[in-house]
Amino acid sequence: MNTKSRFSLADVVIITLALIWLIPLIFTLLMSVRPEIEPITNGNIFFGSTLTLNNYAQTWAVAPWPKHYINSVIFVFGTLAVQIVTITMSGYAFARMKFAGRDLLLFLILLQLMIPTGVLIVQNFVTIRRLGLFDTHVALMIPYWGSAFGTLLMRQAFREVPFELEEAARIDGANWLQVMRSVYIPLSIPTYIAFALVSISSHWNEFLWPFIVTRSDDVRPLTVGLSKLLKTTEVGALYGQLMAGTILVIAPLVILFMLFQRRFIESFASSGLK
Amino acid sequence: MDAPAQVATSQLKTLPQIGPQKSLLALLFPYFLVAPTLILIFVFTIWPTTQTVIGSLYKPPLTVRQQEQFVGLQNYVDLFDSSRTTRPDISAVFTKILVNTLVFTTSTVLVSVPVAFIFALLLNRKIRYLGIWRFSLFYPALLPLIGAASIWSFIYADTIGLANTVLRSFGLPTVQWLNIQSMSLLSVIIVIIWKQTGYYMIFYLAGLQSIPRDIYEAADLDGANIWQQIRFITLPLLRRTTLFIMVVAFTAGFQMVEQLEALGLGGPNDSSNLLLYYVFQKFSDPRNWGYVNAITVILLLILMLFTVTNFYFFEWRRIREDEH
Repeated sequence: MNTKSRFSLADVVIITLALIWLIPLIFTLLMSVRPEIEPITNGNIFFGSTLTLNNYAQTWAVAPWPKHYINSVIFVFGTLAVQIVTITMSGYAFARMKFAGRDLLLFLILLQLMIPTGVLIVQNFVTIRRLGLFDTHVALMIPYWGSAFGTLLMRQAFREVPFELEEAARIDGANWLQVMRSVYIPLSIPTYIAFALVSISSHWNEFLWPFIVTRSDDVRPLTVGLSKLLKTTEVGALYGQLMAGTILVIAPLVILFMLFQRRFIESFASSGLK
Repeated sequence: MDAPAQVATSQLKTLPQIGPQKSLLALLFPYFLVAPTLILIFVFTIWPTTQTVIGSLYKPPLTVRQQEQFVGLQNYVDLFDSSRTTRPDISAVFTKILVNTLVFTTSTVLVSVPVAFIFALLLNRKIRYLGIWRFSLFYPALLPLIGAASIWSFIYADTIGLANTVLRSFGLPTVQWLNIQSMSLLSVIIVIIWKQTGYYMIFYLAGLQSIPRDIYEAADLDGANIWQQIRFITLPLLRRTTLFIMVVAFTAGFQMVEQLEALGLGGPNDSSNLLLYYVFQKFSDPRNWGYVNAITVILLLILMLFTVTNFYFFEWRRIREDEH
């Protein structure tokens, strides 16, 4: 084995590509700590005359970031918490129970895989209005509470649990909830984690739907806050502030990914459909 | 609340039969488990789909006192034929935006999927600091579209943007990335290729890892070079992976519009506009709803070409298979 750090031609190619892919992130960081009045120029592309956190301070002052953070967290985890309950229920029913109309009901649920809910914004907006949910946290979350993808995922996971384990628990007098808690859920933790990572990242990043069904900053998540910043900075082209704001929005997920890279990649690879 | 327990218990053949009352509950229990998911999917997927289709067949009232009027397929006809419509503004741009959407999606998929394959091939080897290179290629997939677009709005900025600064430093002419009609769509396509390639790469990485090593060793012994191995072993074995990625990529592509909010709002002159973003721009005026619904139906039909393929080839087949 070659222990010296020699890189082959293929290594050089992929490293070069990786660095090119990294440029936007690097310059976002650089711009965010560069004095706002010093645009990048030929002579001085990377750093300005000094490093400053001024852009962050400015950005922090022009938008209610703490509110947006809280709203994003509520949106993401409120969605996930209810999803976990609904997909555990439906996943178990389709994995382990026989009942009249089962295939039809499964097919109806799987229609969600064929009709992307994301394009039904107009009629779902009407529904949210009718339900009196406009401009609430629930409006953000409710279309995602029922998940065909999650149902399929849990169905698959539960089918791999040996049925004898359920039988043994039943004979010990365990009811359904206890069986779930002691047998199915603990044995399906990796699937729950995969589902959670995909769910969290897709909702953390969501913009169009939150923008449509909310109006006030008390409900709006980070992405919508960023869009407002875009509108205000565009005028004066305050890219330092804009990049600082962008960092504020993307940092949590990117840092999480840095820490749990393998888990993320495995989860995403196991979940082609969002 | 131990009713469900007894109910589910009756499923077990080993336990004695339970009375008729309890077996009714037992009969209902699976429906209780399925109900939340089913109801939510009915309300937020099935119902709005039917409402969109129905809405696309009506002209909305123009004044408060008017009734909405059934017009059959007239909204669809209007979209494609701008000569005889009440809303020439919408008809005039619809075809353009439809073409934009097809060009945008097709070109992002046809570039990013092959590039993703190359990335995966290059990463699927012993290489130092693998984590760093994999992070660099994958992180754009984890950014919100609007965040990625916000970053690129700085890269594309006219005078102080990164791209033009670099061009200038090489003595090259600068480009108006977002402000001229011939460039705007291409600029958006570049952003999406950058963002999506790493995501498709991970499916190829998973696929590559599933190919047994000894196939390549045998090919080595037979004197097959690296290109022959890729061409005659890797690619054929990953055909299913490729089909899957293509379908996922097309499905995602038709729905990827949020970037436009930071990259020119679909302009100039709708030259970079996309169907779903156009729906988003137009729906706040209820008088547009006939057209907006018709556009949504058209988008749904295009999308279903891919989602139904995906469902049939991958999901439903697998579900049927593991029943047995």
